[in-house]
Amino acid sequence: MKETILSIPSPLGPTVTLCKNSWQASATPDVTLSIVSGMHGDQLNGLYLNSRLTRFLNDVAEGRETDFKLKGKIQVFPVVNLHAVQSGTRLWSFDDLDLDLAFPGNEKGEVAEQIAQCILTHTADSTHGVILGTGDHLYEDAPHAKMLHADRTTRKMAQSLGLDIVRELAESSTAKLNLLHHWGESSISSLMVSVGKPQTLDRTLCDSLFDGLVNLMVHTEALSTSANKNDKTDVHFFRANGNYCVLSTQAGLFTSEVKAGSFLKEGDKLGELRDIYSGNTLEEYVAPQDGYLVTLRHHPVLYEKEPVAILLTEKKSGFWPF
Amino acid sequence: MKTYTIASYQSPLGGPVEIIKQTFTAVKDKPVKRIAFVSGLHGDELEGVFICHRLTEYLRQLKETHSQAFLGEVNVYPAVNPQALGAASRLWPFFSVDMNRQMGNGNGASLAAGFSNALLDDLKSSSDIVVDFHASNLHLKELPQIRIIEEFGKKLIPLASLCNTDLIWVHPTAPVFEATLGYNLNRAKIPTLVVETGICLRIHPDFCDQVFKGMLNLLHNTGILNLPDPPEVKPPLLVNPRQVALIQAEHSGLFVSSIPLGSWVKKGEKLGDIVDAVNGTVMETIVSTADGLLFTLREQPVIYQGAPLARIALKETTQP
Repeated sequence: MKETILSIPSPLGPTVTLCKNSWQASATPDVTLSIVSGMHGDQLNGLYLNSRLTRFLNDVAEGRETDFKLKGKIQVFPVVNLHAVQSGTRLWSFDDLDLDLAFPGNEKGEVAEQIAQCILTHTADSTHGVILGTGDHLYEDAPHAKMLHADRTTRKMAQSLGLDIVRELAESSTAKLNLLHHWGESSISSLMVSVGKPQTLDRTLCDSLFDGLVNLMVHTEALSTSANKNDKTDVHFFRANGNYCVLSTQAGLFTSEVKAGSFLKEGDKLGELRDIYSGNTLEEYVAPQDGYLVTLRHHPVLYEKEPVAILLTEKKSGFWPF
Repeated sequence: MKTYTIASYQSPLGGPVEIIKQTFTAVKDKPVKRIAFVSGLHGDELEGVFICHRLTEYLRQLKETHSQAFLGEVNVYPAVNPQALGAASRLWPFFSVDMNRQMGNGNGASLAAGFSNALLDDLKSSSDIVVDFHASNLHLKELPQIRIIEEFGKKLIPLASLCNTDLIWVHPTAPVFEATLGYNLNRAKIPTLVVETGICLRIHPDFCDQVFKGMLNLLHNTGILNLPDPPEVKPPLLVNPRQVALIQAEHSGLFVSSIPLGSWVKKGEKLGDIVDAVNGTVMETIVSTADGLLFTLREQPVIYQGAPLARIALKETTQP
C-alpha cells in the first residue's frame, strides 16, 4: 500500500511528497522490517532494488508468489532525498545538506530536517532496518553489508543476505548524525547494504542482491516461505580495525586494473597513476597485504593523499563464528 | 610576518593546494599567549576572509612601526579551504564535503578528513585562543554575533564580551557540533570563539569593521597586543535559547522582507510577506512575535514551509 507520509508545498512547483509502501499480515505484527533507499540523489541501485522488492511484495500480498506469505510488517521507503533524486545529484543544491547527516531531524525545521524526522518517526517501531546505498561519491563498493553494532542478531541478519563480506563500522563524530546510528540507538537491528557506484544502475549486481534481501525478510520472519531457507555460512566478517587504506602519494589520472570485490594477494597490482599532461606513469599501486578489495576509486582524477582503495585485511578478521 | 604552509596536497593539474598560516611573533621569546584567527572553512563565507585581511594588514603595519606591541603571538589562517574558496562554494567542490563536518576522530581516510584534521592539529599545537570566522549560509543574514555551546560558556563568555559583536548566543549542544572545528578545539580546552556575521558570498564592510575592532580589543585585553589606543567597543546582548524567538514560514512561497536587519521591533510589527508569485496573492504576513532585536533575517526569498525567516533577541535580555 502506497502512503504519503509527508507533504511539503513547493514555493513555485509541485508539492513534494515523501511516500512509503507497506504490507502487513496483522494489525499487531511481532516484526517490522524497514528498508530505506535514495538517501543521496546519486544512489540509484537502491532505488531499483526497492522498486523490485515492491513489485515482489505486491505479488506476495496478492497471492501471486505462492511460496511466500507475509508474517510481519514490511515497509519500504524508496526515495528519501526527494529533491536530490529529482536533480540527479548527490545533494540538493538548495541547501547543500547531506541528508544522512540530518538525523534525528526536526518536525518544524527545514525540508531536510522534516524528512529526516519523518523517516525516523515512521521507522521507530521497527525491529529491523536496512539502508540500501552505494559506494561513496567517486568510489565503487563491492556488494557488502555494514553495521555499527555487531551483535549476534545483526550479524545473523547480515549473514542472511548471502553476501561474502560483512564489516563493522567505527563510530565517528559524523556517524552520530546518520540514520544507521539512530536506528542503533533505538535498538533496531540495522544494516547498510552498499553495492556498486553512484550515478550508475547495475542491474546484474542488484538482481544478485534481490534474492538476498528476500532471504533477509524470511530470516527476520517478516515473510514466511515454504521453500528452504538458504543462509550462507562462509561469510567473512571484518572488524572496524581491519581496514587498510591505500593512499595516493602524487596527483594525476588513476586507472585501475582490478575489480571491486576481488580477493588480492600482497603485491597484486591495483592500478597506476599517470601525469595528465605527459602521460608518464607517476606511481603504481599494489596490495600492501592480502585482503578483500571492498572499495575502489572509480573516478580517475585523483589528488595527492586520496584513498585509491580500501582492503579488508584477513589479519583482524575471521570466518563467521557459529 | 612569517608565512608557513601547515598542510598541502598536490592537484592533478599542477601546483599544490595549501593552507597558509601568517605568523606575527612576540617581541620576547616566550609569548604571553598565542591566538589564531581562522576563516574560509566554508568556501562561500567571505566576511571572515575580509576580516583576516584587515587583521593582517593592520598587524603588518604595527609590526613595522611598533613591534614592541607584540607581547603575544598572532597566527592568521585566512583561507583554510582553498579550493572551495576558489569555487565560492560552501562545500569542498570535488568531494561535495563540508570541511567543518570532518573534524575529530573516526571520519575515515579521505583527503578532506586528513586535511581538516591537519588544520585542527596545527591549531591545537600553536594556539591558546582561537577565533573561527563564519558568515551565515545562503539563506539568512546575521548581525555580528558569537555562538557558544552551553558547556563552554563559563570560559568563553568573558572573551566573547570583548569582541564588539551585537550578540552572544549561548545554546545547548547537539550532535551536529561534534564534527566542527570549534567544538573539537573547545573540547581540547583551547577556548574557541565562533563568530557568525553577515551572509555568504557577500562582504559587509560595516559588519567586518565592527568585528575587526572587536578583535583588536580582544588582542589588547588578553595581553597579546599592547595597543596605546585600543578601539572603543560596545557590550553585546547575552541571550540563552529562551531569549530567542524564532519565526518560521507556515507557507511555501517567496519571502519579501520589509524591515532592515538590526531593527528593534515591537510585537506585532510587520517583518515581511510570503507571496504566491504564480497566483499573485499574499499568503502570509509575517509579524514579530515579541519585542526585541531582529538579529537574523531571511535574505534568500525562495522558502519552503518551516524555513526560518527571522530571529529576535527578546528585549528582556541581560548583558554579560
